[in-house]
Formats: sequence, C-alpha cells, structure tokens
Amino acid sequence: MTVPGPQLLVASGITKRFGGVLALDSVSLDVAAGESVGIVGPNGAGKTTLFNCLLGLEVPDAGSVTFGGRRIDRMPVWRRSRLGIGRTFQRMELFEGMTVADHLLVAEQATSGTVRIWRDFLHRGGPTPGELHHVEEVLDLLGLADLAARPVDTLDLGHARLVELGRAMMGAPRLLMLDEPSSGLDTEDTGRLVGILNETRRSTGVAVILVEHDLSLVGAAVDRLYVLNFGKVLAAGPVDEVMGDPEVRRAYLGSTG
Amino acid sequence: MIQFLNYAVPGVPFGCVFALMAVGLVLTYKASGVFNLAFGAQAFVSALAYVSLIQDGWPRWAAGVIAVLVIGPVVGVLLDRLLFRRIRTASPLVKLVPSLGLLVALPQAALMIAGAAPTIPPPAIVGNAQAVYVHLGSIPLSGLELSISASTVIVVLGLVVLFRFTPVGLEMRAVVESPRMTELAGVNSGRVSAFAWILSSVMAALAGVLLAPLYSQLDPQNFTVLLVWGVAGAVIGRFASLPLAFVGGLGLGVAQEVIAGYLPAGVIANGLRPSLPFVVLLVFLPFVRQRQIEDPLAGCDPPPTALEGTATGYRAASTLTATAGRVSAVGVWHGRLARTGPDRAPGLLARRPTATLAWAVAIIAGVSAVTWIPPDWLLTMTQGIAFAVIFLSLTLLTGMTGQISLCQASFAGLGGFMAGQLANNFGLPVGLGMVAGGLLAALLGVVVAVPTLHLAGLPLALATLAFALLADNVLFPNSWIGNGAGGVTVPRPSAGPVSFAAPKPFFLLSVVVLAISAGVVKLVADGTMGRYLAAIRGSELASSAVGIDVYRLRILVFALSAALAGVGGALYGTLEGSLSPDDFNYQISAVLLVVVAIVGLGSIAGAVVSGVVYATLQQAVTTLPGRFAGLVAVLFGLATLSYTRHPEGFLDYLGARTQQVVARRRSRTPAGGRGGSPPVDAAVAGLAGAATSGGSAPVGDGT
Repeated sequence: MTVPGPQLLVASGITKRFGGVLALDSVSLDVAAGESVGIVGPNGAGKTTLFNCLLGLEVPDAGSVTFGGRRIDRMPVWRRSRLGIGRTFQRMELFEGMTVADHLLVAEQATSGTVRIWRDFLHRGGPTPGELHHVEEVLDLLGLADLAARPVDTLDLGHARLVELGRAMMGAPRLLMLDEPSSGLDTEDTGRLVGILNETRRSTGVAVILVEHDLSLVGAAVDRLYVLNFGKVLAAGPVDEVMGDPEVRRAYLGSTG
Repeated sequence: MIQFLNYAVPGVPFGCVFALMAVGLVLTYKASGVFNLAFGAQAFVSALAYVSLIQDGWPRWAAGVIAVLVIGPVVGVLLDRLLFRRIRTASPLVKLVPSLGLLVALPQAALMIAGAAPTIPPPAIVGNAQAVYVHLGSIPLSGLELSISASTVIVVLGLVVLFRFTPVGLEMRAVVESPRMTELAGVNSGRVSAFAWILSSVMAALAGVLLAPLYSQLDPQNFTVLLVWGVAGAVIGRFASLPLAFVGGLGLGVAQEVIAGYLPAGVIANGLRPSLPFVVLLVFLPFVRQRQIEDPLAGCDPPPTALEGTATGYRAASTLTATAGRVSAVGVWHGRLARTGPDRAPGLLARRPTATLAWAVAIIAGVSAVTWIPPDWLLTMTQGIAFAVIFLSLTLLTGMTGQISLCQASFAGLGGFMAGQLANNFGLPVGLGMVAGGLLAALLGVVVAVPTLHLAGLPLALATLAFALLADNVLFPNSWIGNGAGGVTVPRPSAGPVSFAAPKPFFLLSVVVLAISAGVVKLVADGTMGRYLAAIRGSELASSAVGIDVYRLRILVFALSAALAGVGGALYGTLEGSLSPDDFNYQISAVLLVVVAIVGLGSIAGAVVSGVVYATLQQAVTTLPGRFAGLVAVLFGLATLSYTRHPEGFLDYLGARTQQVVARRRSRTPAGGRGGSPPVDAAVAGLAGAATSGGSAPVGDGT
C-alpha cells in the first residue's frame, strides 16, 4: 500500500523471562516509516509482552530497541512518547472524569514536552492557540467534535476507543501502537475505526503497529504481518503470504477455528 | 551467642504482641477488604476495660475474660456491622478514613464512658509481671514475658486447630483465598467475614491486655503506636499470609531489641528502633502485588468487560481515586474545558450555589473578626485560618492528586519548628522564617516522595504513617528541631514598624497568608499542572504514555503540599507563641485527613471550612468538663459513618442537594426545553477564550 520508507523502529533479539517462563525468545521486528505492521498470535504467544517491551513498561532481559536510529530500550515511557510513539490500551485507560477535549489537550501538551509548569503560578498555564487548533483538527478527524465537552465516563465504548486513538494521535507521532483496538466493538464501530486509521495514515504518514485478534481488521489495515507463537516469531511477511502459510494456519488459525 | 540471646529474649514478648496484631490485621483485611487501622484502638479499649474492672475489685482472671472474650468481640462485631461491611468495595481513601477516625475516636470514647483513666498500674493476668520466675540459661524470664509468650503459643495452637480441623476454619481459609469463588461455592462469606472480625478483635483485645502491664499508666498513644509494628508485620506477610505475618511480627519484636542492644545508646539506637517499621514498609511494600492491595476481594477477578467493567466496576473499586474522581466531577479540579459545555457530568456545577454563600459567610466573618468578635474567639478564628492553610495542603495532595498522606502534621511541625529556631538562634525575622520553614518542609516532602514514588493508595498511606512516627521519634526530639518535650518558642512577626503581635493585625496577616496559599492551589488546579494531575489520577499508565513525567510531578506536588503544610504550621506556631512536638504528632496527621475528608477535599472552601470548624470545636470543648476532652475526636469518628455514604464530602453533598432543589423548582416553571445545543462550540469557544485571554480568564467557581 505505502512505499516503505527508512527503518523507524527496529527491535532485535528481544528476550523476556517471567520466572521460569520464556515469554519472548529472541524476537526481532522492524517497522519502516509510514508502514503498518500487524502482530497476531494465539493467547499467551507474547504479543502484549512484546508490546510492553517496545513501550518501556517491561525491561527486556536481552535485545535492543531503536527508534529513528536512537536506542530507546532504557528510556522511561514518557520519554519514548515524546520521541513520537503514541499508544492505545486494550483495557481502556482513560482519564476518568475529564472531558474528551481535555484528553486530547493533555496529550498535545505533554507530548510536546514544551509546557513549563511554573507558568501556572503566573496564571499563564493555558493552552496556546496552536495546541487548540490541533485538538480541533483531531476532534474533526475522529468525528468527536459533538462530544468534545462530554466527560469520557459518559461515552459508549466505540467512542471511548476513538478518544484513546485521538489521544495517541496528538503531538504528531511517527508511530502509533494499537493494542487490540477492536476488542469489545461491533462490526460497524470496527469499520469506522479502520476508516479513520487508514485516513490518518494517508494524511500524516504515521507508521502503525497493530496487535489484534480481529483478522478482518488486520487484513484491512496492515501491510505486513508478524505471527507470534510461544514467544517466537513463527512467520513474517505480507498479509496474504503469511495467512497462507500452513504452519501459521495450524498454530493460530486452527486453534481459533 | 549468650549476649545475642540476652538482647533477643526480651524482644520476644513484644514480638508476640506485634505478631498477634499482624495476624489480626491480615485476617480482617483478607476477609473483608478493609485494612483496620483502628486495631490499636481496639487493643486499648480492652486494656482499659481490663484495668478498670480490676480497679473496681474484680478478680484479674475474670477481668481478663470479660475484656478479651466479651468487650473485644462486641466492639469488633459492631465495627463490622455498622461500618466496615458497607465499604468493602469502596476506594482506598473511603476505606481508610473511617478506620483512621476510629483509631483516634475509639480510645477517647472509651475514656469518656469509663469516666477517667484508671490510676492503678496495670497488673498481669496471672502472676507478677516484674518478678523473675525462671532462668533460661543465664537469661531471667519475668512473669510478663512468660505470660505473653504462653498466651501467644495458646492462640497460635488454637488458630492452627481452627484452620486445619474445623469447617468454619476451612471456609475462612477459602474466603481469605478468594471471597468471590467461595461465594460461588455457596458459602455465605458475610458470615465468615463476621467470624473473622470476631477472631481478629479477640486478638486485638488479647494484645491490649497482655501489653498493659508494660506501662505504668494506660495511655492510648502507647497502643496506637504499636499498631505500626503490626502493620509492618502484615506487610512482611504481604497482606495475605497469616504465618508470614506472624513470623514478621515476631521477628520485628526481636529485631528492635537486638538493634537497641548492640548499637551504642543515644541518637542512633533511639533513632533506628522507631524507624524500623518505616524501613520495613519501604523495603517490603514493593513486593506486595499491587492488585492484592487494591482489591483484596479480587481473588478471582471476572474478565474485564470492556469499558463498562473498566470505567465503573473494577476500576471504581481499585483506583485509589475513585472518590477523588467523583469529587472532581462535582467540582473544581478540571481544566477550563470541563466547565464550558452545557452537557456536563451529573452533578457538575458551573457555578456552585454554595460558592456565593461561602464568599458571603467569609466576608461577614472577616468583618466581624476585626470589629466586634471578643479576643479569645478571634484567636480561635485565627487558629482556624492557620489550620485551613494546613488543610489546603491535603486538598492539593489528596483531593487533587489522590495521594493519601498521613504525615502532613510532620511537615507542618517542621515548618513551625524551623521558623522558631531560625528566629531564636539566628535572629531571622519570623516572616522570613515562615517562608524558610515552608521551604524546609518542601525538602522533607521530597525526602518522603522519592522512596514512595511507586506506591499509591493504602501502601502510600501506610508508608507516610510510618514516616510520621519516624519524624515524631527521630526528628522532633532533636534540640535543633522540635526540642523534645520542651518545645520551641515562635515569636510573632513584625514588618518594620508594623507589629503583628496584637490579635487583630495578626488575624489580618493570617488572612493574607491563607489567601496566598489558596491562590497557589487555585492556580495549580486551573493550570496545566491541574490538568496533568487529573490525568495522572485517572490513569498513571496512560499519563506516562502521553508523555507526562509522572514521577517528577508527584515529587513536585508532594513538595508543594509539604510547603503549604509547613507555612501553615509556622503560622500556627507564631500564633500560639510556642510549639511542642505533640502539637503535630502522627495522630494529628490522621485527624487532619479525617476532618478535611469529611468536610470536603474537593474545594478550597472545604479546607477553609475544615479549619474553622476544627478550631471552633476544639475551643468549644474546653468549656465542657474535663471528661469530654476527647469529644472532638469522637464527633469526627462518628461523622465517618456518614462519610462512607457521602465520600464527596459534606460541602459538595450540600451543593449537590441545593442544586437538586433548585433544578426541581425550575422544572416546575414552564421554560424552553433544554434541547441539544451544540456543546462543541461552547467547548472550543471556552478553549479559545482560555488561550487568548490568558491571565484574565475567569477563575471559576472555587471559593
């Protein structure tokens, strides 16, 4: 779909143990700028652990992660975010009680890292017109403009997922990492999500890593696919090719029907 | 070796008592989800009953039986039925506040009922406490040591038999393992948890009665202080394992005597012993699985049902700030956006009807203060203002950020002491001393915040509680800080020719200090920092994922809050003229949190009202007979009963009710339907307004 650009994220030899369990066994993965990559695999295959290692929530026992040519595997989560990695959560992690627009504004300000907190004490801590403009843009893109002032607690799941996506998109990230964005959504909501995702990629050229169970979403939104099983990369390549691989069918598709 | 035993053996009775406490704490925690900080108070109540009965001429064994097997369980069952059963799945703050209230209120209530503390030295149940009965090698064993150890062995054997060989013991083990699964298997976990309460209350009572002879006079302080050792034992047991908790408590008892024995007497030994629980908490708390702490009832959690489950069910029970979150939905602590749209969260008021009222009351009170109020009541009002500044520190830390601190009084004390010390020893003007006190308190805040960065909810509360005790025992007795029992004198400030020594000028000065403090809190709440803090409270994980440096902000807020408390403490110090460590001990920290939580953590008005009410009540109590000295503590202890129903606090509850009444009246008058006006315009307009107007944006509704 997109012409692959230079390497954006390169993870090599990621290994992670939990006690006696080898959750990740020397997993390597790379994402080019603007590319969309899917990670699939049966439950317990190590998808989430890999995700967490890339994001900094887990420290891998071995291996390295570089982003835009910089080693990031010892960086705290918030610093990786400021480098341009946005993420969503499989289990919603919204800021309870805050409005939709506030979610985006917080993300916009925090990601840029230019906010100086002491300005608050001079009563100059308000958002800049530029920041507000970005918030409005993303609200429009997601079709959330009508809900901007709603506290997120009052949203239905489909819209809540969109708020998470929007929050991850603030600050013009170079990579979006989406953890099962369709879980709990019906087909209509999932379709809308795919539409927004593809639209975003076309307009901003952001790269995407998608961990997903819903194969129709994977097929519609992903250029390349990694299949994990028992902490190892079972297969990697273009979607059609990987789906046709008999070993993959046995390990993954066979087990889920 | 003999020397080691010489030091270790005297620690065994302490260890036994700590172990009983730790086991009792874990038992109720696992069976009912509440970490019962009132445990130490229960121990005191039984000890008081025991000694009082003996003073009335009862035989010692009968008094012991009544105190341990009747009074203990009755108190426990009452607590379970009236209070703790109702808050099993509430947020950590809602669970903590009642038990803190009771920790202070129960002993005072018991003393009020008993009339006065007994005057006789507490005797042991059997034998003579001090007499030496046997020698273990060359180590003498007193009656007290023997009786405590023997009773503990009997209790442990009883527990083993109960858990191994009886049906109710089996059920209890199952409930401790997983209440939900046990319920699914057809066991009434409510009944089992009631039994757990009885059992743990008996242990509290036994600990109290066994311990009483150690002291020449019964004092609630001695018993509540011991609680922290029990807490440390429970943490070693990871809040989950009864045997580990027992071993932990026993080990701590022995360790503290050994430390005291081997190290040279003086500051190090005196300091190390009381700091042991704090160190243990810091070392062991990270090993406790967070899930277990947040929701001990989650032995087998149902799978998350997407947002519904996350937003309300599991998270409501588990996030430390479920209440604070609700408070914020009602109130102040959002970016300007929250207030601009017409389609707000239920109960979120653009302008609280109470805000105008609060301003009116404040102005009337201020004018009255400088015109006709008699001097002693003016003094009370000024005290209230000093306390309001300290309460504001909790509004910032607990109300806005959701972090529970039980060492705010320590910060306040340090601020006050330092203002006095700098004035007395270096001739620094007190006004500057207050600022310096605030800065030093901020430094102490950083010292507390850094090792507790990974903690939240109950563990953070326990760690700060242990730190408060550490401050009481190690920092404040130093001659260059709190000067022990002697205290520190703090002169009244003066600015050039203007002296603030007289009541009225000092009152005005206090109002200015309060206004500045409130302004700081308001600016933080309305600015970027407030928005970040709201985000962190909502989800620490997602906050760092969008690029917020969560740890840095936490340290900053802790420092800011400590500084406010320090300034408030210094203000209180110059008002009173002198401060002693008892003015700001760990119990005061607990009382402060309880009071402001009940009145309202969600607004600046809440802090101010808390200060005035607290000072006024304390002043009012002095007009009553001495028997009622503890009445304020008892009143707030009772108020926690209603707090569990309205965790948003009294003020916000009042505001919401007023709003309801107004809305009902309005709905009766025919008016244009409130059709769906496009909220986005309002929101974006609000955003734009906030951005362009900058400094002149409406400050909002806080009072």
